[in-house]
Amino acid sequence: MATQYSRVLELAKVQCRIFSLNFNPEKLRLGNKILRQRLRGPSLSAWYPKKTVSFRDLQATYKPLGLTMFDEGEDDREEAIQIAKLRGKGRPKKKRTAAESRSAKKKK
Amino acid sequence: MSMFRNKKLDLGGFINGKIIRDHTKRRVFEANEVERQALRYVIRNTSLPQRARAQAQLQLAQMHAYTRSTQIKNRCVAGGVARSVFRDFRLGRYQFREQALAGELPGVRKASW
Repeated sequence: MATQYSRVLELAKVQCRIFSLNFNPEKLRLGNKILRQRLRGPSLSAWYPKKTVSFRDLQATYKPLGLTMFDEGEDDREEAIQIAKLRGKGRPKKKRTAAESRSAKKKK
Repeated sequence: MSMFRNKKLDLGGFINGKIIRDHTKRRVFEANEVERQALRYVIRNTSLPQRARAQAQLQLAQMHAYTRSTQIKNRCVAGGVARSVFRDFRLGRYQFREQALAGELPGVRKASW
């Protein structure tokens, strides 16, 4: 005994309601496949590693509280500057005004 | 494009200009993905009026190039190289080899038979 087509349609309709699908017996192009696609943005934008907390960040956060840490690189730099100054190889004094900078040029 | 770029860099690890650019494109794509998908839905839906669909087509075509996913290129996280990048490790082939031989990639070993 052949089932009635209307019965089959009804079954499909109930199926679609239960599984929250789109009931589309005429097979129209309704673009629902685009709504079904998942968003790719979050996974794509997570390709490169995010910035993590660095030594510099820690220094910056604790400096206002008066807590300083030993920074070997900074220590080395200051030591080198001191040595250079003793040898007379330190940086020249910053010229603050136009007149100062002009006189400095003339000396040469 | 500089208008899309983050004012403050939010990347760790290896960084160069091309990586910053690609990261910017990824962020812009993420921000505009929903809008793009909505327009694509309107374009594909044949039950909507032809005029609305044509307008959606124009609007989609006029969106900035950086909102397009095809602009995104997978780059090596450790060296910025764009060619022969392993998707699973996010590394270029040479960085992959170096790190694998150094034992930094769990479960990867040199084949030998």
